[in-house]
Amino acid sequence: MADSKEFIAGVDSNAKKSPRRIVFITRRTSAQVKAETEDQIQTFPEVLFRAAVAIMTLAVVLVWISLMFNAPLEGLADPSHTPNPAKAPWYFLGLQELLHYFPPVVAGVLVPGLVVMALIVIPYFKVNVEAEGLFLKDREKRLRIFYAVAGALSLFLLLYKSHLYNYVLGIKGEAEPLYAGLVPTLIISGMMILASRSSPQSPSAFRRYLAARPLSYWVMTWFLFELVVLTAIGTFFRGPGWAWVWPWQGS
Amino acid sequence: MAKSGTTKTMDQYFNDLRGTRVWRSIFRSGAGSSTLKRALAIQQNVFLHLFSTKVRVRMLSFSATWYLGTLTLGTFLLLVATGIPLMLYYHPSAPQAYADTKDLQFVVSSGLFLRNLHRWSAHAMVFLVFAHMFKVFYRGAYRTPREFNWVIGVILLLITLLLSYTGYLLPWDQLAYWAITVGSNIASAVPLFGDKIHFLLLGGNAVNANALLRFYVLHCMILPLTAMFFIAIHFWRIRKDGGLYAHSSEPAVVRANASDFPTSRKEREKSGTPSSGAKEGQ
Amino acid sequence: MADEIKQPDEVNRRQFFMKLGLGSLSIAAAGTAAFSYQFLEPNVLYEPSPVVNAGKPDRYPVDSVTLDVNSAIYIIHSQEGYFSLSAVCTHLGCLTAWKPELNMIACPCHGSKFEPSGKKIEGPAPRPLPWKRIWLNDDGDLLVDRSTDVPPLARDSFVRV
Repeated sequence: MADSKEFIAGVDSNAKKSPRRIVFITRRTSAQVKAETEDQIQTFPEVLFRAAVAIMTLAVVLVWISLMFNAPLEGLADPSHTPNPAKAPWYFLGLQELLHYFPPVVAGVLVPGLVVMALIVIPYFKVNVEAEGLFLKDREKRLRIFYAVAGALSLFLLLYKSHLYNYVLGIKGEAEPLYAGLVPTLIISGMMILASRSSPQSPSAFRRYLAARPLSYWVMTWFLFELVVLTAIGTFFRGPGWAWVWPWQGS
Repeated sequence: MAKSGTTKTMDQYFNDLRGTRVWRSIFRSGAGSSTLKRALAIQQNVFLHLFSTKVRVRMLSFSATWYLGTLTLGTFLLLVATGIPLMLYYHPSAPQAYADTKDLQFVVSSGLFLRNLHRWSAHAMVFLVFAHMFKVFYRGAYRTPREFNWVIGVILLLITLLLSYTGYLLPWDQLAYWAITVGSNIASAVPLFGDKIHFLLLGGNAVNANALLRFYVLHCMILPLTAMFFIAIHFWRIRKDGGLYAHSSEPAVVRANASDFPTSRKEREKSGTPSSGAKEGQ
Repeated sequence: MADEIKQPDEVNRRQFFMKLGLGSLSIAAAGTAAFSYQFLEPNVLYEPSPVVNAGKPDRYPVDSVTLDVNSAIYIIHSQEGYFSLSAVCTHLGCLTAWKPELNMIACPCHGSKFEPSGKKIEGPAPRPLPWKRIWLNDDGDLLVDRSTDVPPLARDSFVRV
């Protein structure tokens, strides 16, 4: 494995019987984990018993929850009466919250489609595989790009459906900026700025940690943050008419 | 083992049973705690031979993966185990489906429990699938050569969401009907093909009897089979990539000392080079 | 360990936990089996009631044999009174028919033939046609319980009006 050669060469010896041929065999082109000399243990019982315990614990927890809490069941489906609010299952509530701000093409098709696409291509970008700290190389250039992108995004989130937006476009009605999108963006941007001012030599462990985070980490963390915030809002803070309610306003 | 005269203990009876021809014809490799027997228990078993007989100690680490992949599989198995009995009392026709759901809750023995377990396992599975994805991402376990397995994982995420979505309609209550109505209307927002997709998905223009039947077939047959298909590929690729991803920063020992595992020490004593074991782990 | 002399009924820690584990597992398995069986047996059936209302006795003249195809019973008014036979052939479950010209009940499937008393004349049927419990309700209607057999030709198997 310490070999640097990618191929081995062989030469057929009997020149009379067969003309000279040189053979190139590429070595181990299939990507495999480099065999490390590491201690090994038997799958059975070590792995299997741990898996069994994990699954049994899960089963016990779920059984206990099932004995305590009933699955919801409302009245018979009635096409002539839409409940208010008509909420999707919890894992789609983030999407439904987004639907409140953007037209269905954007919130329902574009955003999920782009998210899925983005997820799929993550491992194919070299920058994600190398996973170096974002601001450790080309710091100035990357900072400029960061400020441009983060600034544009924050500005858009601030202005979209704001009072100014409504005024300029002559839209009557409530102004509802996308605070749900803005707040996580600002927080993550703040952390990224902190990261750009940190280095592997920073005194605090937290700043060292931040400095080492690659771009993929920031994008994914932003996505996770947004997902949690939007889903939480859709679950707890939206009531009839998809109007804003506070969770303690029992309805 | 206590031997007292001529009376046999349960253990001895059991061991005698294991020696019989009938038993040995079924369980061929036999039981035992030797390395060979333990390896055979994995290798000769049709359900388990996807595992390698030995794994690196690092892969056992709980903090590395939180066992999320295993737990997701566990919820999937729970869902199949509860879903099939539920099918025995459910007619996928409107409005009979609603009456059947009520029956399951009030009339059928253990029906309420099964329905609850099915519902909460479904929510747990969606949550665990997301958690598993994020954990794999943050560990960097998607890197070469595991890229495509990550893609398979994303496909499995979509299948899980679809399974949950199709199952949501089946009780045929207000919650189900309107959630699916809204969801399928989003599908018609797809440019160019939106309305066609909407029509094909529902088997009509509205969420009615055809839609229920289609969602039932999707939920009980098509999507579970697809899921199992991709789960198999997902596990196979883990095996082919050398087992669970174990970053060098993760602890190489799970307990105080790897030599706590008797077989590994035996391995080290027997053969001078542990690399033979490493290859076996592929 | 090796030094101790083991008594026959002494168990070590490993054996104790093995027994505990296997014992709990078998209890859980037994419980699961019991609950699964209970689950599989339906508590509510969406089938018609076995009790059939055959109407007023006047509908059935003396010495008549009337077949009700929907409930698969014969209402027979003989000299001794009213009684009811199952119309389901005891061979393999086909619906029998009353042949007045031959004064017998015949099964079209494999040729079993029965007397109006249910007794088998010929054919592959293993048993005679069973008598079903018949009685008068408060409105004066004849009621037949298809799930209850009564002894043939016995006094209480008839309804006398």
